Amino acid sequence: MRKSTNFIILWIIIFVQNISTAQNCNVFLYQKDTLQYEACLIAEDAYQYYQYSREYQEILDKAIEKCPHFSFAYRNKSTAYLKSGDFITWKYLIDKAVEYDFRENIGYRGWCKFQFFRDYQGAIDDIEALEAVSKGNIGYSAGGQYHLKVAKALCYKQLGEIDKAISIMEQYMIDSTNQISVFDHLHLGVMYLETGTYDKAITQLNLQSKQNDLAENQFYLALCHQKMGNTDLFTTHITKAKEMYLRNQKMIFHYTEPIDRVYLEEMDKALSLAKE
Amino acid sequence: MFIFLISIILMTQSCQQQSVPKDSKYLSMVGDIAHDPKLDDPNFTLCDEKKTKQYHNLNEEMQYEGEKYALNNIFTTQYKPTGGVTDSGMIRIRFMVNCKGQTGRFRLISSGYDYKEKQFDKTITDQLMTITKSLKGWKILTDKTGPKDYYQYLIFKISDGQIKEILP
Repeated sequence: MRKSTNFIILWIIIFVQNISTAQNCNVFLYQKDTLQYEACLIAEDAYQYYQYSREYQEILDKAIEKCPHFSFAYRNKSTAYLKSGDFITWKYLIDKAVEYDFRENIGYRGWCKFQFFRDYQGAIDDIEALEAVSKGNIGYSAGGQYHLKVAKALCYKQLGEIDKAISIMEQYMIDSTNQISVFDHLHLGVMYLETGTYDKAITQLNLQSKQNDLAENQFYLALCHQKMGNTDLFTTHITKAKEMYLRNQKMIFHYTEPIDRVYLEEMDKALSLAKE
Repeated sequence: MFIFLISIILMTQSCQQQSVPKDSKYLSMVGDIAHDPKLDDPNFTLCDEKKTKQYHNLNEEMQYEGEKYALNNIFTTQYKPTGGVTDSGMIRIRFMVNCKGQTGRFRLISSGYDYKEKQFDKTITDQLMTITKSLKGWKILTDKTGPKDYYQYLIFKISDGQIKEILP
């Protein structure tokens, strides 16, 4: 029951984030900001075009011409540069968005720095800046798969501060008001594995199996059992990991590769080492 | 739900390109690479340039034979850090993979870790460009109408002249 509820909530988050690429212009009217309201109406025309397209960019340029502090247009213009790897233009545009609406864009910029450019310190700085001005929940990543606190923990891990990363993850997951996302147990399990606390790692990875079983999850379970000398369980899990991988039951992001992703070659190597 | 479906359609729709008005500062699509006879291999041709995709358009991750694991190994073994060069930052090489899996139209941009444009020592960029041009494992991307040309990029995170990470 909990599992299905979690997924429904997650899909609602993703749904809301997808429709929020469009903006309700009446918000600006309510705030008596007629300049942003008019820019927002201009920007609405862009949504019929692909975000990479010349038309999309030109319409948003017109919105910015109408209102030079219309942060929404800068953020939406930046997306195609982000996805095409143009970090220079992306950063110029997203910085403008942050400058004109800090609260709305700083967490998003932090997430993008992490996901697209593996700029761990830059992401931490942005997410912590958001935490400093937020009273409640700081929100989720652009795709909805990660809470920004989990993203921050992963950044700390990548910078070598694994104890800090574990502490952030534990605090986040112990709070029953927080939504556990599709990879959270996996990432915490891998952190425990990397610090040699195999029992805790197995507990988390088993929770991941129940929520959203993946080849990666089975792979790391295999490594835990290998470290603990459980050869049979190692073989069981590594074999299952490979089967799931070949069925495409693995971590997939379309734009970038996620932390803790495992490759087929790594599974084959682990299997052949075990047979020696 | 209707709005959601429309947004999904817009996100995944075929990106058929239109001709660009002469007064526009944009190409048809962000990141487009126009053929330059001074830079590009004349033997590299596209199947249908107007229907070129981005690598992520077909809801797949980056597609390379042996996956990113193989790609990382190629750069690890072939890239030689040059003594005394301590440049750091990011280098992006963007290029096209045609419907036959061949590559061309390579372009490079670079910045420091502050995301501000910066030139790297040529001993670094030349090596990265040479190795990238030599890669033969790019998979052919296909949609329901057949094989497509597509844009791909690699970002190299460089610290003190050494490759720290390769993205995406």
